[in-house]
Amino acid sequence: MSKLSLNGLSKRFGDLEVLRDINATIERGEFISLVGPSGCGKTTLLRIVAGLEPASAGAVLLDGRAVRAPGGDRGFVFQSDNLLPWRTVFDNAIIGPEIAGRTGAVEKDRIRDLLRLVGLDGFENYFPRQLSGGMRQRVNLARALAIDPDILLMDEPFSALDAQTREIMQTELMRIWEEGRKTVLFVTHQIDEAVFLSDRVLVLARRPGRIREDIDIALPRPRALAIKRAPEFVAYVDRIWRLIEDDVRVSVIEEHA
Amino acid sequence: MATIETSSLGETGAAPRPRTQAHPRLRGLHFVGLLSILSGLALWEFLSRVVVANALFLAAPTQIFAAIYNLAISGQLRPHIAISAAEFAIGYVIASLLGIVIGFVMASSELGKKILQPWIAGLYATPTIALAPLFILWLGIGIWSKVVVVVFLVLFPVTINTEAGLRTTSARLIEMLRSFGATPRQIFFKLSLPSAMPFILAGLKLGIGRGLIGVVVAELFGSRAGLGRLISQSADAFNMPELFAGVLILAAAGIVMTAGFTWLERVLVPWTRD
Repeated sequence: MSKLSLNGLSKRFGDLEVLRDINATIERGEFISLVGPSGCGKTTLLRIVAGLEPASAGAVLLDGRAVRAPGGDRGFVFQSDNLLPWRTVFDNAIIGPEIAGRTGAVEKDRIRDLLRLVGLDGFENYFPRQLSGGMRQRVNLARALAIDPDILLMDEPFSALDAQTREIMQTELMRIWEEGRKTVLFVTHQIDEAVFLSDRVLVLARRPGRIREDIDIALPRPRALAIKRAPEFVAYVDRIWRLIEDDVRVSVIEEHA
Repeated sequence: MATIETSSLGETGAAPRPRTQAHPRLRGLHFVGLLSILSGLALWEFLSRVVVANALFLAAPTQIFAAIYNLAISGQLRPHIAISAAEFAIGYVIASLLGIVIGFVMASSELGKKILQPWIAGLYATPTIALAPLFILWLGIGIWSKVVVVVFLVLFPVTINTEAGLRTTSARLIEMLRSFGATPRQIFFKLSLPSAMPFILAGLKLGIGRGLIGVVVAELFGSRAGLGRLISQSADAFNMPELFAGVLILAAAGIVMTAGFTWLERVLVPWTRD
């Protein structure tokens, strides 16, 4: 059975058709990226899987069970870090277990391990305002991992970071992912980011959002940053860019009209 | 700070920004503020002693401090301060608790807001202090009429700020908690309440000045003791040094309490700095 299946998902906001008939299956341990121009509904799709937004039609099946509300089986990593400013790094990271009523010694040890995993060892007692954007996103990631979800949902988590930090965070995410091999659904508008991270890239078209192509990324793992200059890598990026180029041009014109 | 592994993190700017010590120039500016006050006092002293030269119209700072000292050692000052402090404290505490509760009701229930909003907005804009004579008529010239005036003045800024603070809870943060399956109750205690704290404290801070005005004005309308009483007695007797003594003590109380709240804000809601 697939870890996650999206069966005929559609979403409307009033007259606006955001998603039309999305069908996809994701296997356990796969890293899948959703790529598309702004307005293709990729974030809405992620929010539906998270249970933060109801679908207008269709179903999200996790291990064959339909999901409609948020749950501990899915961890969400937000675009903006959404850390509570009055809580320390540690207290932010533990909020998921805390909401579920589990704050025992086991959880606390787990949080410490996770903070070490994401490279925040020694920063447990810092407050968000004392951290850089990249470090705040590490807390964001640790917080999602803290509930030990079956599947990690990541909504453009690196988009607010500068280019160099973003590249470092991509390799960091790869390192962390290699250790646990969680199933990941990763939304981005950065094509190279999607190719670098993913086993498969789902390319979305816009208005209404639908899957244009499902591309297997047959690059060996583990991947180093240098792979971004390899001809196969560049070929993938070119191929995806050609698929969405027209859409992107239209969306750029619409946004600046 | 020994464990910042910038090398392993590989990010520039990963280290927390160190809290910078007050800049030498800013310390200099502190000194300028003190100098300004001292110069003002000196000018005041000069005007009252040389230009006005009539203690019936204007008391010099040295005369005022002398009056405070004399009132203090003669034992007259203590009851005045005690009465005013009691009126302020009782009224302020009642108004704060009531204001937070009403603000909470308005923020959490649409019906509650609809019912209370016109009253809160109307009474906030009304100079309720003009009702002080009425309260004295009803409750006598003891402390309770003043307590009611203080409650009326302090209640509204606290209510309005509490409501606004609870209402402006970040939608993004609510969503974050929802994604972890938080209940509305958990969202309130883990998010809405702490994020409203800066607003509530600001409302309480606004209430200090208003509460002090309430105490003094209500006492002017009729009282047996209190700093307002001291001021009106001194005015009747053309005793300018004692009149100013009352005013100065009130000013000091306001400044100290406001500074106390500023300190409390630094301790309770440190994330609002910067």
